[in-house]
Amino acid sequence: MLPESNYTTESLCPECLERIPAERRTEGDVAYLVKSCPKHGDFTAPVWRGKPSLSGWARSKKPLRVGTHLTDSPRGCPFDCGICPSHRQQSCTVLIEVTSCCNLSCPYCFAAAGTEMMADPALETIQGWYRTALAKSGPRNIIQLSGGEATTRDDLPAIIAMGRGMGFPFIQLNSNGLRLASDPGYAVTLKQAGLFSVFLQFDGTEDSIYQSIRGRSLLAEKLKAIENSATAGLGVVLVPTLVPGVNMENVGAILTLALELAPAVRGVHFQPASYFGRHPGPPEDADRITLPDLMRAIEVQTGGLMKTEHFSPPGCEHPLCSFHGNFLRLPDGGLRSLSVHGKNCCAPESAGTGRAVTYVAQQWSAPAAVSGCCDTNSLDAFLENHRTNTFAVSAMAFQDVWNIDLDRVQECCIHVVAPDQRMIPFCLYNLTSAEGKPLYRKASC
Amino acid sequence: MSLPVETTGWSCAACGGELEIVKVGFTYMKGNFEVDLPACQECGQVLVSEELATGKMADAERILEDK
Repeated sequence: MLPESNYTTESLCPECLERIPAERRTEGDVAYLVKSCPKHGDFTAPVWRGKPSLSGWARSKKPLRVGTHLTDSPRGCPFDCGICPSHRQQSCTVLIEVTSCCNLSCPYCFAAAGTEMMADPALETIQGWYRTALAKSGPRNIIQLSGGEATTRDDLPAIIAMGRGMGFPFIQLNSNGLRLASDPGYAVTLKQAGLFSVFLQFDGTEDSIYQSIRGRSLLAEKLKAIENSATAGLGVVLVPTLVPGVNMENVGAILTLALELAPAVRGVHFQPASYFGRHPGPPEDADRITLPDLMRAIEVQTGGLMKTEHFSPPGCEHPLCSFHGNFLRLPDGGLRSLSVHGKNCCAPESAGTGRAVTYVAQQWSAPAAVSGCCDTNSLDAFLENHRTNTFAVSAMAFQDVWNIDLDRVQECCIHVVAPDQRMIPFCLYNLTSAEGKPLYRKASC
Repeated sequence: MSLPVETTGWSCAACGGELEIVKVGFTYMKGNFEVDLPACQECGQVLVSEELATGKMADAERILEDK
């Protein structure tokens, strides 16, 4: 269980990126990360606001000490990533950035990706990154091919096939969907190469949202990308970046549309905006969407179809980093929650990377074909119904330099393979100072 | 209904009764389904074969269990 107040941890100074002491402090029903730099003063950021309360939000979990480490830790977390001996979790998702170039230029971009031409990593280089992921975490990870925009590479099918050939069963594409929309045969090509799922950037159901976050109207292309991916047999997960004042009021509409597009759309994975990479400026408290803010918004905006109590803390990453809920779509248009939060309250679970991978691979892949084979009460019909009609809703709260908590970072299971083959927790890899200086990422094109 | 091949040759360990196929209801984490299974004619004890336990039933468990 998480301590409700005054939990001591460490963080970074937003100005100089030095490691500084920090405290998770609860005032009323809001938890803040509070820290002070001897040179640059005090910083406060809300990390949890309102119900469900922080005190009941956790799953007992045995820390998993990874047996082999790629780096020593002479300077300590977070300066020796690779993964170092301080880390308490192994990978469940490994990001491989196959390009730093992009065909959009969004005002918000964690990778601060550009549009100019720059040499992409060679296939041999990417093969080396796959080898690193394989050596460090084995093949049973979700490999997420990312960028930049990965589909700007014409040899993406070869990259997917190479990963499959090296033994990774679950290769997912992180994409804005533009190429999937414009070329129906492209999704088929990716599927034939071995792709299982598309993590589709999908910020809302109105073009004004895309104009604000992505710089132009995109809704029609997003819908076309979903259609083409579904036709090709790829699972599609919608991934909205949530920005206060832009699309936070669109959460219910996104879920309603996603349910209409199910089972081709397997679920929605919300990502409240983080302030690293490219963003409009340092965040105020009102610029923060905490996980409970989002859970309550989902309940209100879906008219109670999905409730806060249907969502559970993660069994893999740190409890402050995500929530998820699994639902069964019913023939009458209703939903039944399949989540049972707290069922393991009395016995610590083993750290859940394997289970998380199994869950994600099952839930985010294309739906089973419906044969209508059997007696509706039979086990076969049960399996067919659940494989087709389960719908996942989840969210991940990434950390930026203002709210980064090294206790959370050390439980991260989403790692990026850096160009020098170190494996670095996603938030640290993308973290930038208030002035835009990266902690790890090299400047993109 | 005849007994599946993998369950022939069994008798009830509890009472020695013969087995017959009956419809057995399962409930697990809010999920319900029925399976035709061999059960003791005398005391009702049910035989779940290894193939079923590690196959489709394990699949159902994975579907219902949390991340």
